[in-house]
Amino acid sequence: MSKVLIGLRDWVDERLPIVKAWDTHMGKYYAPKNFNFWYFFGVLALLILVNQLLTGIWLTMSYTPTQEGAFASVEYIMRDVDYGWILRYMHSTGASAFFVVIYLHMFRALIYGSYKKPRELIWIFGMLIFVVLMAEAFVGYVLPWGQMSYWGAQVIISLFGAIPGVGESIVTWIRGDYLISGITLNRFFALHVVALPIILLALVVLHLLALHEVGSNNPDGVDIKKYKDKDGVPLDGVAFHPYYTVHDLQAIGVFLFIFCGIIFFMPEMGGYFLEFANFEQANNLKTPEHIAPVWYFTPFYSVLRAVPDKFWGFIAFAASVAIPFILPWLDRSPVRSWRYRGNITKVMLVLFVSSFLILGVLGVWAPTDGRTMLARICSVIYFAFFLLMPIWTSIDRTKPVPDRITTDGGIGFWGSMGGLLLILVLAALPLKAVAAAGEYKCGAIPCDEFVANPHDKASLQSGAQMYMNYCLACHSLQYSRYNRVAADLGIPEELFQANLIFDPDVKIGSLMTNAMDKGDAKDWFGATPPDLTLVSRSKQPEWLYTYLRSFYKDDTRPYGFNNMVFKDVGMPHVLLELQGMQECAPGPVVANNGGVKRDPLTGEDILENPCGNFEILVAGEMTPQEFDGAVYDLVNFLAYVAEPMAVDRQRIGMYVLLFIALFTVFASLLNREYWKDVH
Amino acid sequence: MTSDGVNPMRRKFLTAATCALGAAGAVGVAVPFLGSWNPSAKAKAAGAPVKFDFGKLEPGQMSVVEWRGMPVYVLNRTVTQLEGLPGLNAQLKDPDSLNIAQQPPYISGIDRSIKPELLVVVGLCTHLGCAPKFIPEVGVENLGGAAWVGGFFCPCHGSKFDLSGRVYAGVPASANLLVPPYSFEGDAVLVVGVNPEGV
Repeated sequence: MSKVLIGLRDWVDERLPIVKAWDTHMGKYYAPKNFNFWYFFGVLALLILVNQLLTGIWLTMSYTPTQEGAFASVEYIMRDVDYGWILRYMHSTGASAFFVVIYLHMFRALIYGSYKKPRELIWIFGMLIFVVLMAEAFVGYVLPWGQMSYWGAQVIISLFGAIPGVGESIVTWIRGDYLISGITLNRFFALHVVALPIILLALVVLHLLALHEVGSNNPDGVDIKKYKDKDGVPLDGVAFHPYYTVHDLQAIGVFLFIFCGIIFFMPEMGGYFLEFANFEQANNLKTPEHIAPVWYFTPFYSVLRAVPDKFWGFIAFAASVAIPFILPWLDRSPVRSWRYRGNITKVMLVLFVSSFLILGVLGVWAPTDGRTMLARICSVIYFAFFLLMPIWTSIDRTKPVPDRITTDGGIGFWGSMGGLLLILVLAALPLKAVAAAGEYKCGAIPCDEFVANPHDKASLQSGAQMYMNYCLACHSLQYSRYNRVAADLGIPEELFQANLIFDPDVKIGSLMTNAMDKGDAKDWFGATPPDLTLVSRSKQPEWLYTYLRSFYKDDTRPYGFNNMVFKDVGMPHVLLELQGMQECAPGPVVANNGGVKRDPLTGEDILENPCGNFEILVAGEMTPQEFDGAVYDLVNFLAYVAEPMAVDRQRIGMYVLLFIALFTVFASLLNREYWKDVH
Repeated sequence: MTSDGVNPMRRKFLTAATCALGAAGAVGVAVPFLGSWNPSAKAKAAGAPVKFDFGKLEPGQMSVVEWRGMPVYVLNRTVTQLEGLPGLNAQLKDPDSLNIAQQPPYISGIDRSIKPELLVVVGLCTHLGCAPKFIPEVGVENLGGAAWVGGFFCPCHGSKFDLSGRVYAGVPASANLLVPPYSFEGDAVLVVGVNPEGV
């Protein structure tokens, strides 16, 4: 058997140099033996690239790149395609993980001078990869066709309008329409799945070829090719395979543990990986209250916002992305690694990273005067780091660089933790100073606490019943199917069909649409009642729970009711008969520090808000406790409908994490075994 | 490099164990990728069982029901038509429905049906998939004249089937028309796509 395989290998090798290629890139590629933590991120980026390509190809199999079908097809993938939600979460989490890993990879190059001669081209290719990746991420984010997709694209494409003279024509040309439409979506789809990935792959190949030509840098920034043994092998090098393959394997294990932890237990990552507003379909007539780009663009977005001029803002934004390209020629230091540089370098690095983090956080927040000022300061530091680099690298003192690599150099684990802490504190303090917003998340009042429980079948069943009785007539659940709900809630299909589907022609496998005409609805309520399949993801369940319980008497409104959470809402108080009629009562207000304003002496809330609380005017069929329970069930049901796979997700996730933990244990044992040769 | 403390057995074991775990992981990763190619909930809903009230069918009348995108012929055969079936056996390729791929196990023999009068077949020719025409008239000239006692004729390549969907000899098709799984709800409701209880 092995004879046949060897024969086959030799046969191919005579025609295609596979053995030589293996030796060049793996078996006889000698990498410095003192790689540390920072050297894991290259291989991790490659791993994520493979993940993105595979899951991306599979997502295109069920995705519809049209204005009409895009949003629904994403929900189709999430609900109707077997395992579709895993593929989609792998892809969406992969996008963010890609940037985490790439930023850390770039930081490594920065501190160890990996961009310096003779590795300038590696750096240039790397920067090109970063820019193409940003483009890829941007066009990819438009594809789900949610509100953030739409308005994010609107903002970024409008940027090109800042170019004098031809700006507006360019904007129209990019959109292919007078607004962002299905035409834009189609071309972005083509770019995202074909054009940009090809460019990305080509650049990755060039990046690696250039790296393997000149060899890897190392934390000491010394050249390992100076000292070789009689066979020409660097004395301080080890063969990439097997030493660094087993070394990277344990990092892959740890990375996958975190990666899968996010996929299976917090796929939205608190709204940073999947923004909440993007669970609402794109609407070109309604901008979400607050548009923030996805987190990985926010540092550059902050630079854009910091400049009080459209054209110069665009220039600053473009420059902030482009300026690292010339890093190899800005750095005048005779040594590569920060280990052998003076204090100026260390101060500049800490300032630079802190500013970058602050810019990132500010880009997520809505702008205020204080925040804009902070963004300007940090933008100046960001640019100063690069533009003044020729000066501060020249005047900084350097220490003698050792001849051979060291294995005990650097600041060690605790030193690194100290550095990290310093950077975080430097970033957190100015942010804290501009943080206090003093806004409630539920309109005029704070949100009441709500924790969904997808395991509580009784609650879900009663919520479903309530939904069918009070909500479905106006609000469809058009991405969800009756039979799925019946199966997940443990309701027999016959019972479900008999009691909860009021239209006898509706099949149990159908989507939960309703018969209300959209035009009529608009006439009756002033707005078409929205579909509620995803409302618990776009608005969050605590908002819904508070909203549904916050109708109060207001004779100035058409139906005689207003809402504390959603002011002047078009929806009538449909649960009136259950809740009874509420009236305003004095309630607490927000203090400047963001908490509840209290009397400093008695510690009691100061009731300055004339409508911050409720009194029951006319009792309903339910007591307030019963009513809260009923609304809890209803919102619990909506939370379930928004992500029906949540229970599966967590159950599968437990097994996946256990498996990866086991793999990591073996990988690290294997790594230790091999590295006995080296140490 | 030194070889002190190297234990080749331990190294071999750890390599094998890590590789085995890696392979198991790869299989696990393959599951969602392969699984996502199964019919989705949408396809399953579209391919769900179809109900048809056949009480409205007069004797001799046929109706077409759509199931999984295929035409399903539902024919209420008359007593005369049923009595004529055994006499055709000599002219057919598979008169006793011995090719079990063409019907569920609870369908057999000459009738090829659960209720003798009610024929339920997929209306796609077993030659190359055209929809055969229902021609109940007796003695149609270019279908064999007096020998034709009614049946199905495929206009594409000329295959002929009798009123049980059994294929004639001497035509391109080689198998009888396919009988889909079906059952009944009460006396007059046909459910195409669901086997009878207990099967």
